Amino acid sequence: MKRRRSTAFIAAFGGGAAFMVAALIFLLVIGRPPLATLGQMVLSAFGDFYSLSESLVKATPILLCALATILPARLGLISVGGEGQLYFGALTGTAVVIADPQAPFFLLLPAMLAAGALGGAFWSGAAGWLRARCNVNETISTLLMNYIAVLLVNYAVYGAWKDPASLGWPASIAFPPAATVPSLFGTRVHLGLPVGMIAAVVLHVGVTHTRWGIALKVLSGNRKVGAMAGFSFLRQTLLVMALGGALAGFAGICETSAIQGRLQAGVSVGYGLTGFLVAWLSGQHFLRAIPIAVLIGGLIAAGDALQLTSKIPSASATVLQGLLFVSALAATGLAGQRIARHDR
Amino acid sequence: MTDDTLMIAGSWAAAMFRSSTPLMMVTLGETLTQRVGIVNLGIEGEMLCGACVGFAVAAQTGHPALGLAAGAVAGLALSLVHGGLCLGCKANQIGSGIAVWTLGLGLTSYFGRSAVGAKVTGLAPLAGPRFADVPIAGPMLVQLTPVAPLSVIILLLAGFWLYRTRTGLNWRIVGESVATGRALGIQTLMVQAQGILLGGLLSGFAGAILSVDYTQTWADEMTKGRGFVAVGLVIVARWNPFLVLPVVLLFGLSEAATLRLQATGLTLSPYLIACLPYVICLLCVIIISIREGRIGGMPAELASVFGRKR
Repeated sequence: MKRRRSTAFIAAFGGGAAFMVAALIFLLVIGRPPLATLGQMVLSAFGDFYSLSESLVKATPILLCALATILPARLGLISVGGEGQLYFGALTGTAVVIADPQAPFFLLLPAMLAAGALGGAFWSGAAGWLRARCNVNETISTLLMNYIAVLLVNYAVYGAWKDPASLGWPASIAFPPAATVPSLFGTRVHLGLPVGMIAAVVLHVGVTHTRWGIALKVLSGNRKVGAMAGFSFLRQTLLVMALGGALAGFAGICETSAIQGRLQAGVSVGYGLTGFLVAWLSGQHFLRAIPIAVLIGGLIAAGDALQLTSKIPSASATVLQGLLFVSALAATGLAGQRIARHDR
Repeated sequence: MTDDTLMIAGSWAAAMFRSSTPLMMVTLGETLTQRVGIVNLGIEGEMLCGACVGFAVAAQTGHPALGLAAGAVAGLALSLVHGGLCLGCKANQIGSGIAVWTLGLGLTSYFGRSAVGAKVTGLAPLAGPRFADVPIAGPMLVQLTPVAPLSVIILLLAGFWLYRTRTGLNWRIVGESVATGRALGIQTLMVQAQGILLGGLLSGFAGAILSVDYTQTWADEMTKGRGFVAVGLVIVARWNPFLVLPVVLLFGLSEAATLRLQATGLTLSPYLIACLPYVICLLCVIIISIREGRIGGMPAELASVFGRKR
């Protein structure tokens, strides 16, 4: 056990070091002073109150999408569908607003949020149902459904939902104040962040301290043993996929309502994919996902800020994410081999 | 009358063939990679890399063939990352594939900015316009470039090689059981590395066909999930290179047929039509997966990655 812990530490440290080297090389290649740019990135991510709040804004959908990956992973499923669930949640949530924009605040806001979560749950639950009943690989189905959901949002905002007042810009009507997710501390940070954090804590307690957690653990290890113990793979698959999808869908409608104020084609800039990265960096651990989501949110916010101030294209943030992912996988993979060697 | 019908059929077939060629090559690449027991979701990123580098080289040098070659090499280079992670570090294959995709997405979107708006000259068609009146073959000869027959030849060669040669047998053994392969004295790690690299080469080639030969433009994220569609079609083609050809062509045909619905007066949003490849691919995978137990064909080593029934 002790060796395992030290190995995990070495993995985290080694992965971090490998990422730093890779990032410095990348910055050198694109002709930026590497150390100064990295310092600038840290400052524009967490340097002052405003930067910090913007990093938290980015961290919110990332955290929710990470939870949407971690929960199925606890059952041994690999869902890459955060992006699609986020888009579909944005679509269904917006449908409520479009149906009755004049509805009072206490009806419209909860109905909109519930519809967003339900939409995400449906989109993800469909993949879960296909997995459990038809043996369709959930990784492939969620990847393909991502593209469909994005196109459906495009279909809506370029078609029936296009606001005539927006002068040809493909977007729905602006959300009325009664359909605006409340923001916190006078910043753009909104309700989604505390919801994501509470969800992470609740899910963590759920999988570590309840019978449900045992069911997931047994079923992920061996389905037949799980069935003998009275656990249903179908029911648990539907549950984890739908719950995860609900969180991603909630992220989508929050992003639409609180940040963009209307449904547009670009609800997300790859938050689903980034959430997947965060889930893996956390080792599929709900609580560890929170700080990692904030860090990666900071990276993306810094990428946006540097694009404005230093003319570094924000695509460089995607490259850095890719390098981080590769370093982390290499480090944990090598550490796993070390454990395997000693266990033998 | 019959002549006209024949001409239309020929022109249709040519268009379908042309649009299916990139998908054919990337599906073949993933098929070969999965035959050695490795899943590579990174082919989406490798395809993007091939499209970006291939387009840039073709635009710079003015030689489309050079661009296609450079694209293939770029795909191969990115697949080295997947090989290093999966084989060198024993990292999770699905995670590694997504990492490679992210990397390809970021790198092409960063370095591809300079290529946006550049012009390339595609390859010359197989025959000049004076052959256009030959029934059926005419439109094919005029519309298709050498890439299409070349792709079919590559596909057939890959099939014969996999099923009819000693090294092909070794690949299939490794895909069924790495332990057995090792016991037989096969260098399994080497075979798996070759499988990943060959898949990367073909994916990069597919991407370059897309940007240099087919659309003749470069745009951010232009492969739009074709790599993931390919991963689905590999399952439909039962990991058999020979079946890749009919599966990809049927896929292209169903897409084209649905497009024809529009001509019958049904007006559909272009965004709904753009959903078709993903919906059709998903439906195919669902139908095949339901019948899974009865047809088989999946290399046994993949079971641990795909997490099939235990």
